[in-house]
Amino acid sequence: MTRKPLRRIMLGTAATVSGIVLLLALKPHSAPAPALAHAAVPASSQPPSSSAPKASGGGSKASGGSKANGGGSKASGGAKANGTPRTSSPQRTQTVTGDTVQTDYGPVQVRVTLVGGRITGVTALQSPSGNPRSEEIASYSIPQLTREAIAAQSAHIDAVSGASYTSAGYSQSLQSALDRAGG
Amino acid sequence: MGTVFSFDVTYGGGLAVPRAVEAAVASLHTADAVFSKYRPDSQLSRLARGGLALAECDPVVAEVLRLCERARERTGGWFSAGYAGGLDPTGLVKGWAVERAARMIADAGAYGVCVNGGGDVQLLGEPEPGRRWRVGVTDPLRRDALATVVEGAGELAVATSGTAERGHHVLDPHTGRPPLGAAVSVTVVTRSLTDADAWATAAFAMGATARRWLEAVPDAEGFAVGGDGETWQTSGFARTSAARTALGIR
Amino acid sequence: MTTTYDGRAVRRHAAPPLRARRSPAPLILALVYAGAAAVLALWWTSTSTVLGTDGWLVGAGRIAGLLTGYACAVLVALMARVPALERRVGSDRVARWHAMAGRWTVSLLVVHAVCVLVGYAMQDHSPLVRETLNVVLHYPDMLKGTLGAVILVAVGVVSARAVRRRVAYETWYYLHLLTYAAVFLAFFHQLSLGAQFAGNGAAQAAWYLLYGGAAGLVLWYRVLTPIRLNARHRLRVESVVREAPDVYSVLIRGERLAELGAEPGQFLRWRFLSGALRWTSTPYSLSAAPHDEFLRITVKATGGHSAAVAELRPGTRVWAEGPYGALTADRRSRRKVLLIAGGVGITPLRALFETLPARPGDLTLLYRARDPESLALWDELERIAAERGARVYSAVNGPDGRRADISADALRTVLPDIAEHDAYLCGPQGLMEQAHAALRAAGVPGRRIHHESFEL
Repeated sequence: MTRKPLRRIMLGTAATVSGIVLLLALKPHSAPAPALAHAAVPASSQPPSSSAPKASGGGSKASGGSKANGGGSKASGGAKANGTPRTSSPQRTQTVTGDTVQTDYGPVQVRVTLVGGRITGVTALQSPSGNPRSEEIASYSIPQLTREAIAAQSAHIDAVSGASYTSAGYSQSLQSALDRAGG
Repeated sequence: MGTVFSFDVTYGGGLAVPRAVEAAVASLHTADAVFSKYRPDSQLSRLARGGLALAECDPVVAEVLRLCERARERTGGWFSAGYAGGLDPTGLVKGWAVERAARMIADAGAYGVCVNGGGDVQLLGEPEPGRRWRVGVTDPLRRDALATVVEGAGELAVATSGTAERGHHVLDPHTGRPPLGAAVSVTVVTRSLTDADAWATAAFAMGATARRWLEAVPDAEGFAVGGDGETWQTSGFARTSAARTALGIR
Repeated sequence: MTTTYDGRAVRRHAAPPLRARRSPAPLILALVYAGAAAVLALWWTSTSTVLGTDGWLVGAGRIAGLLTGYACAVLVALMARVPALERRVGSDRVARWHAMAGRWTVSLLVVHAVCVLVGYAMQDHSPLVRETLNVVLHYPDMLKGTLGAVILVAVGVVSARAVRRRVAYETWYYLHLLTYAAVFLAFFHQLSLGAQFAGNGAAQAAWYLLYGGAAGLVLWYRVLTPIRLNARHRLRVESVVREAPDVYSVLIRGERLAELGAEPGQFLRWRFLSGALRWTSTPYSLSAAPHDEFLRITVKATGGHSAAVAELRPGTRVWAEGPYGALTADRRSRRKVLLIAGGVGITPLRALFETLPARPGDLTLLYRARDPESLALWDELERIAAERGARVYSAVNGPDGRRADISADALRTVLPDIAEHDAYLCGPQGLMEQAHAALRAAGVPGRRIHHESFEL
């Protein structure tokens, strides 16, 4: 009979806020830890060439990408032939597919196009469709990733420090594709 | 550590280097299993909870904690692995793991080693005969541009700490809050990535005093981007940086 | 035709039931909370990580949004006039649940919108205003969703206590009806944009079921049931009688009213199809035991609406919905019963006083009013008391205007075995609180004090 609406409201608010914060706090706050993935290490006896840095012959690439999904690799030029020498011809066009990476909205996967070992484009091969939010993320992540990759390359960059925050899923898929392409 | 690691290795041939790369990848996974804050079964988590004694841990735990202690001393307390009672060497462990992996490959006889762990880069040797390493530093405010390019030969480590990647993930150990009036990102260039990572973390937490502190650290240079787009760099940084390139394609 | 109606026809004198009916309220509340837990589980299972400040914001926004969506369906279902809720839990209690949950829902809705928009703006590195416009204008179903949210917030504001007092009842009521449109409009963006529903057929089906169920309840109990009721019973005003200054009884004639299943102590929502009265539906308790041909309500003519009731002409058609309310005989668990009425709150208690199964001496009515003249229905009460061997006491203000206090001592003086009674209360909030406290102090446990209060 005797009601204390104010106390009830305060209790309700406190319970709701702390409940939401607790739920969020209980979730991991970093991207999933890398699982042991394809540590593909092509052996090569070619001496380093002096063309564009990433097209150099004796490059060896290994990556600890996210969830192993190596089956998605489609290297048209045979870029990743395990144990075979790899000589890059400047005109060769190559498309490499990255790993499928799970995000909140579903799987994402990117494909990289390289001409003569240089990145010319990044496209989303898989992005969760039907949800405009994920499409929006793809719409800015992909061009941004492309620009970043091309910018880094056009400056003859060996590595980039301070990775920018795009959608982590797309970045991971791109990285795995680049690793697979062998630069 | 939840990061993508990539390796770029130049070598003459043989199986020693590929094997070293495999071992280096494995070492990163081991480091993740030992040091992850997010795995309740990691040795670090168990150590922090008191369920495991330091002597029972992998010897690398003691090594990393010793390095943390050294970093705390070198940074006048600005780097801290002991904030809020927990045990959190995160600010250093990635750099340490990447550096260790890179040195494993270099020791196997590679000409050039570049290991990039989520934007913290350790480079050893040279990319091609006669060419220097070039490492781009992303502009935290203009995501499609590089703020600057660092150049160097031989041993080079570049670590960046800031708000750009994951929101505020560096806290001032004295207040337990994100640093006020600080840069959006601080990049430290030195020879060892263990040092670069710890110093970048500390310098970011220091805020406005970071520049003066970095000037006094021997063999290290710093570069920072502020929230208003203003940048500063230590006096020796120009030697490591190429002509400032704004590579925006916007 | 003039009829003196005193409900003799349905008087009962059977032995009192000694087992009170159990309220389904705990079960219903448990179901509602279990549903909320399931909604949180949906978020939990579909979320892998929470990254950075923007991740926290979007995560909080999503949780708030899911809970808002769930609560909207529950709020609609609560107000669907489901008999189990209206008659067994009690309309007043359900209305209080609705009001409380409504405030909570509107707050969560604001949290949802703010957190998601700020979080998205941070993710996209675009200014909040631009991000908001983008989301509202270009995301599918978001124009509808935004409109729904605006209506819900407006209703929330108008329902807030401070504003509610300054808004006409009709304005508030019709704005409230708009919430059906708002909930309908907001429904679509939940499925087309909710990350938790993307590619999750089971979750989508459950959501459709939840909303379909709520809509079905409304359609059945708020639309079809009243239509059938009024088509079957054809209610009309028979006569209007003045009982006390500003208090009028309205006698309503209908067909086969026994089928209505109304019990003494219950009320119906009445809409008199005459002049401005037709736009308002108002709850009035039956002030006499229901009869197969007649129902009687007693109304205090205070505001514009109830004053117009006094002017009703015989033959006016009446649209009624009900019966509702849980202030009925089956809540009682003891042989002896004390009824405490204040002012026009006498109406349901008058019906109970007449019909509660009781032996002589088991039934006592305490009736408080401003002055002897205001003791509406007093003659009837005295007659019933005489016939049933019941007692009726009145408490009126003293000559100096002082109120007759209801205290534990006063109750013990009148009824030395007060602690062995069930008590039914009906009247203004102040009297109810005072009587409740006095009864508790006199040793009557709370579960044996039955009351109905529509102050939220």
